[in-house]
Amino acid sequence: MTSRLEVAIRKSLPGFTLDVEWSAGDGVAALFGPSGAGKTLTLQCLAGLVRPDAGRIVVDAQVLFDSVAGIDVPPQRRRVGYVFQGYALFPHLTVRGNVGFGLRDRGRVERRRREDEVLARLGLEAFAERYPRELSGGQRQRAALGRALATDPALLLLDEPLSALDLPLRQALRDELLGILAGWGIAAVLVTHDLTEAYQLGDRIVVYEEGRVIQAAPRAELLSQPSSRSVARIMGIRNLVQGVTLKATADRIQLRWRGQVLEAVNSPTRSYLPAPDRPLSFFIRPEYVRLIRKDRAGVDGAHHMNLMSGTVVREVDLGTSWTLFLRLDEPGTPAQGDYDLELEVPRLVYEILEIERDRHWQFSLHRGAIHVLPSA
Amino acid sequence: MSPDSISALRLSLQVAVAATALNALVGIPIAYALARRRFWGKSLVDLLVTLPLILPPTVVGYYLIVLLGRRGLLGAPLYNATGWTVAFTWYAAVIAATVMALPLLVRTVRAAIDSVDRDLERAAYTLGRSELRTVLEVTLPLARNGILAGLVLAFARALGEFGATLMLAGNIPGRTATVPLSIYTAVQTGESGEALALVVVLTALSCVVLIAANRLGARTA
Repeated sequence: MTSRLEVAIRKSLPGFTLDVEWSAGDGVAALFGPSGAGKTLTLQCLAGLVRPDAGRIVVDAQVLFDSVAGIDVPPQRRRVGYVFQGYALFPHLTVRGNVGFGLRDRGRVERRRREDEVLARLGLEAFAERYPRELSGGQRQRAALGRALATDPALLLLDEPLSALDLPLRQALRDELLGILAGWGIAAVLVTHDLTEAYQLGDRIVVYEEGRVIQAAPRAELLSQPSSRSVARIMGIRNLVQGVTLKATADRIQLRWRGQVLEAVNSPTRSYLPAPDRPLSFFIRPEYVRLIRKDRAGVDGAHHMNLMSGTVVREVDLGTSWTLFLRLDEPGTPAQGDYDLELEVPRLVYEILEIERDRHWQFSLHRGAIHVLPSA
Repeated sequence: MSPDSISALRLSLQVAVAATALNALVGIPIAYALARRRFWGKSLVDLLVTLPLILPPTVVGYYLIVLLGRRGLLGAPLYNATGWTVAFTWYAAVIAATVMALPLLVRTVRAAIDSVDRDLERAAYTLGRSELRTVLEVTLPLARNGILAGLVLAFARALGEFGATLMLAGNIPGRTATVPLSIYTAVQTGESGEALALVVVLTALSCVVLIAANRLGARTA
């Protein structure tokens, strides 16, 4: 990955310290984490609105900030576009006035031409003379994007761009935003506390917690290989439990959990070799737990890896699917309170198998559905 | 109305207009600095600017004499250098009215600037605007109603100023005797007709000003 963006920031505020270091290439980097983790502060440092105590910020090989070299490019000259939370459109200016705000030093004709071009590209021609308060949520988002993009910035920053919207609109605008970012081909940093949003918009996801980065990875890697328990917890990963290592090789890990011997795939990109008898954190994706039909004879270990059985102790109807909470047929305390495993079955499966009536099931786990975490 | 009353009225308007202009010039930057900047001695500035609101006007006038009088801290060097003193001129009335009106303007304008979303200013910075240009193009236009309301209040306060003006400018008919001072003189010398005329005019003016301020306030909210 060639880094278009290198970020190292330390900033102390009363009661909070931001200390992060990450990099990103082309496309969208999503800063993900709970509120108050320092994501917006990072954007403000990138834009030059807040001065870090120490660190270095490089965009496209241009040093914007370097505490050692004494470089601090003011926000006016950073060529960084900023889409603020709630958009921060100038209420006393029209859409055209907003979009053209950053074009003041261009000539009148050139400015007008660029305004027209941006308005057309974002489908805002019809609203050019309207004021922000007369726009819908989606039009406001486009106007804010247009204002930031009109000056051809080297980097676009987006702070919770969708949080001002209600849910149905949010999904539509997420797609629209994705289209605009892809169409403009601009490197962007996006802040969100919504994992779905981070996952759908980010090519790379940087996970924040309490002022620190706990993982930065391409999005595909993040869900299957969270680097630690705290990443997994922040990402809302379910069935995060602890077992004991039996044997680890480069591509397999055998572990003991709740009286079962389970086999898991070792991480293909960074093999992890825990010592035998050491505790081991892993998680099981609820949608990958496979219930075994009772009307099919011949259940054998060869076809069904990691075979177990248990009873449904609780269930939740999610509309299109059901979440079942299973307790294994094993003595001892269940792994997660009153249950061992949470699993998700499509509504149709729930009805065909008559799970409402039949509570005891055998199930299997493909070894690829068990994800081992590198540290406890 | 007597010629003295008419000249008092003209002088009062002149003083109030000048004091309001000075308030805009001095008070708006102070209000902006208090609302947006961090600087050494900020709470002291805040205190000094607010004090005239609660101190008796004669006390403020006394301080102004200490500062600007012929033997004052600034007044003495000025007098020694030029042989001129601000005391007992209509400029003194303007200064007294300005200082007395400043708290009203600064507090109103500061509240208006505080209510402007800071992200709007930040957006302007990222779009290439300097802080000064941002103030002129974003902050002040958006705080406009609050600023106008503050100026109206300052004008009204300046128009009615009595105590500090009396201390620093005196009560010289035709030169420093503004309407409130002339009313006092008229009552003291038993010219109740003159007093009544000036009282009615001043009350009417104040009502007009207050109505204007309320309208602006309503639009701000």
